[in-house]
Amino acid sequence: MIQGTRKIFAAATLLACGLVSQVHAQGAPADKGCILLKSTAEVAKEVVDAKGVKSVQMVTAEKVVPGVEVTWTVSANNICKVPSEKVTINNAVPVHMTYVAGSATGAGSDITFSLDGKTFAAPAQLTVVENGATRPAHADEYKHIRWVFKDSLAPGATAVARFRAVLN
Amino acid sequence: MKSFRISTLSSVVLLAFAFGTNNAHAVGVAAGTSIDNTATVDFTVGTVTSTATSNTTQVVVAEILDVSVTPPTGQTPVAPGTTGHVLRFRVDNLGNGAEAFLLVANNAVTGDNFDPVAASPAIYLDTGGLPATAGVFDASDVPYIPGSNDPNLVADGFVYVYLVNNIPNTVTDGNTGRATLTASARTGTGPQGTVFAGQGTGSTDAVVGTTTASDVDQGEYLVQGVTVTAAKSQVVLDQFGGARPLPGARITYTIVVNAVGTGTASTSIFADDIPAGTAYVAGTLTLNSAPLTDGADVDAGTYETTPTPRVRVQLGDLKQASGTQTIQFAVLIQ
Repeated sequence: MIQGTRKIFAAATLLACGLVSQVHAQGAPADKGCILLKSTAEVAKEVVDAKGVKSVQMVTAEKVVPGVEVTWTVSANNICKVPSEKVTINNAVPVHMTYVAGSATGAGSDITFSLDGKTFAAPAQLTVVENGATRPAHADEYKHIRWVFKDSLAPGATAVARFRAVLN
Repeated sequence: MKSFRISTLSSVVLLAFAFGTNNAHAVGVAAGTSIDNTATVDFTVGTVTSTATSNTTQVVVAEILDVSVTPPTGQTPVAPGTTGHVLRFRVDNLGNGAEAFLLVANNAVTGDNFDPVAASPAIYLDTGGLPATAGVFDASDVPYIPGSNDPNLVADGFVYVYLVNNIPNTVTDGNTGRATLTASARTGTGPQGTVFAGQGTGSTDAVVGTTTASDVDQGEYLVQGVTVTAAKSQVVLDQFGGARPLPGARITYTIVVNAVGTGTASTSIFADDIPAGTAYVAGTLTLNSAPLTDGADVDAGTYETTPTPRVRVQLGDLKQASGTQTIQFAVLIQ
């Protein structure tokens, strides 16, 4: 099996859509670069319109105070003409932040977590040994999140993973 | 009859300052910290497995502006007309970045009986506001000058601040006098969420936290006054068994001294001149029915002839709980 990686770099921007530095032509080697992966970090902002009506908008997170929740959205877009299988998105819980229990979502995926980056399991199977006793891990101890999409990702389709974390 | 006098030194009992506990702690990751995050995806096309990496999102930690003022514990006892009484406050930076704080003292606080009078200087920074402040008011403490040495506290740092006041002499036992200390973040104050763009540590934004970046708390002085009274009476016994004030008659004076109030009259001394036209009868001076020697020695009483004849009794530190003190002495009418 040839395994290779080709990094697709996209500059962080203020807008939700990222820039693409490399576009693969259809029919190009299909084992590389078929997934365009984008990540956004956003916070909820209360907005008051001209009539004084309040609503909540998601805006790009730039300068955040401790205690604020940030929402990450990772989207995997199949830019090839053939399906991608076993699409698995991995995202570490960012440093200085604490995962919000139950906030990880991803339609069509099984979500597992890891405390050490090596072993991934469902919450019920994650344990911690503390003072000689084994106990279930708390959500605020999760360090990594994994989304395994069960179905193949069709050409042009996008798989979306999302989670929230609070700034310590 | 000559009047007697009682001289006392009012005492001030300073309570030992309890070490102020502060239950609040500074929040959060240091302002200016940059948090980067990158996702990866593994996928298989045909028989080939690959990994792709996302863009890196960057979140910068803004500075929270939060402060807390902790007041002195309990009331500070003072005596009327005394000076230099200290109230110790503690100012804590509860934010996540270094911040300077403006300090303001106010003595015109409602709900008390009198306004303490600010000494000059009125505010001191413990050890000049340097770290490891000892919390004791002493010669290492530096007068506070607003705008010149505003304490600059790191995240989670604190400083002890002393307010120094004088007590008017018109106050009475049981009166209270209050003074407050307000600490405000120099970057700015306001409702929670107010943003001072670019003015946070590391050029990030500074955002007001839940404390509005300002806090105030008060200390209270309690006057412990004491009033000492003396009631004097006399009994005349002449040499014929009557009560006529003839030459040769004996006058026995009884003075009852009483302290009223919550304070202490330190080192109280009773002194009474021998009235003109009479002579002190040696050995008649008593305190609470116990005889006192006339000479200056270890006991509490003396009979003195300079500058003028008088008896003198040391009563020690008198409190209301000491009870009444009864002094007696006799003279002969010449």
